[in-house]
Amino acid sequence: RCASWTSEAPVAVGDADQIQFLKHSTRTRATINCNFSEHAPCPMEPHHPRRAPTAAMDPPSPAGARPAMSHSSAFLLPSSATPAASADAYAVVVLNQRLPRFAPLLWDRAQVRVCADGGANRVFDGMPELLPGHARDDVRSRYKPDVIKGDMDSVRPEVKEYYSNLGTKIADQSHDQDTTDLHKCVAFITDNSPGSDKSNLCILVLGALGGRFDHEMGNINVLHLFPNIKIVLLSDDCLIFLLPRTHTHSIHIERSVEGPHCGLIPVGTPSTSTTTTGLRWNLDNTHMSFGGLISTSNIVDEDQVMVTSDSDLIWTISLRH
Amino acid sequence: ASPLGSRAKMRICADGGANRIFDEMSQMTNDLDRNRYIPEIVEGDMDSIRPEVKRFYSSQGSKISDKSHNQETTDLHKCISSIRHRTPDHEKANLCVLVTGALGGRFDHEAANINVLYVFSDMRIVLLSDDCLIQLLPKTHHHEIYIESSVEGPHCGIFPIGAPSTSTTTTGLKWNLSDAEMRFGSMISTSNIVDSDKVTVQSDADLLWTISLRNLT
Repeated sequence: RCASWTSEAPVAVGDADQIQFLKHSTRTRATINCNFSEHAPCPMEPHHPRRAPTAAMDPPSPAGARPAMSHSSAFLLPSSATPAASADAYAVVVLNQRLPRFAPLLWDRAQVRVCADGGANRVFDGMPELLPGHARDDVRSRYKPDVIKGDMDSVRPEVKEYYSNLGTKIADQSHDQDTTDLHKCVAFITDNSPGSDKSNLCILVLGALGGRFDHEMGNINVLHLFPNIKIVLLSDDCLIFLLPRTHTHSIHIERSVEGPHCGLIPVGTPSTSTTTTGLRWNLDNTHMSFGGLISTSNIVDEDQVMVTSDSDLIWTISLRH
Repeated sequence: ASPLGSRAKMRICADGGANRIFDEMSQMTNDLDRNRYIPEIVEGDMDSIRPEVKRFYSSQGSKISDKSHNQETTDLHKCISSIRHRTPDHEKANLCVLVTGALGGRFDHEAANINVLYVFSDMRIVLLSDDCLIQLLPKTHHHEIYIESSVEGPHCGIFPIGAPSTSTTTTGLKWNLSDAEMRFGSMISTSNIVDSDKVTVQSDADLLWTISLRNLT
């Protein structure tokens, strides 16, 4: 189900004496702005990629050989507007950061709701704040997690007790320090969802972006570790999800709730070839990498964006307020 | 932000960053005198800075560097280029650029800001938030990171964001890496702990270092 996760046991430090510190050299660059994309006519550090000239020698990428995967943010639409089926089953995972404003909407949409440790504090405190017209206890019992999972070092004792009394399962995993809280929650949800076909499952994660950067990176790594599960990380400002290289992607844009700003980011591995349609600045067999060109501050121009790449990419789109 | 500002030789606001200084600096320092916090330069495409803020800083002597004609680079990239341009060669080795406001918010902005670290990999650039800082460790060098434990730590991490690492070795961490592979989709070092006043890192890949910041009240 997921790529092998090697848990690093503490490794004894090798003999570290006589480490020579090299002062950072001031390597001068010939032209700071022309340090990537050899075929592009010296654009500046790409804020968004220019349409690169298609190399005549390159064979067309066999996009047809890959299965298609479609994506939609219909879960962000007000419940009255939802089309009949986008995903059959939604799960919500709440991590330990301030709830985004649409948390109640997503919670209502989901069939399974899991709080990762201190995420339970956020639901306890935050849901009544987001629904000020209702009595706190009514809100808390309505927005009661199915499970609180993790190592329990952040959840307040009174919060844990409150939800436990309402029937929330407390799944203490303090013994397992090798995986992140989000990893544990995703594994739990996939283990407990019916059937072997997870293609109709979509896990919506709140609180995974911002905050401590190592947490954010660990959360993004979970997307890479579970490439066959739809997992969406959401904040007030944007959402992100993985576009695995094994598929061609069709992203349906819900213009009333998302866009227009978007991007495609090759996290972890450069992409030698990415092709898109539907963006203001499309990629055409374009090379993307950190240190070179990545697609940021792009704009969705059509209701459907298509992406094909030889590398896993992170798709991001802004959310409307 | 106030301690950083008072130590800096040059202070640049990227476009709407000027609004932030204008609105927030005096609240933080209980100092109603905006004149203490005047950037030397306001740079960018000027689509976010409020007109009255621009006028105020201009009247206080800030250079307004309007780069709205250049839509190819981010505001941060423009600022780094500008700093680089204004720094004499003999001072470049000692220069460290401190950036606030580059993390969080829109993910594509954050990614573009991180990319600026890679593009200008021969400069020391530190991205800071309330929670943490990040810095690039280029593969061309063996790195010694001195830990100021009164203000930072203990949580830290190392990430091969651009390309995987086949071999990374560290000292000074609770879970050190020893000739270890790191890759998104496999193992990356998150929620590590600094265990020493000095952390060393050597790798065959460019890595991003992050360390948590202590709440300084």
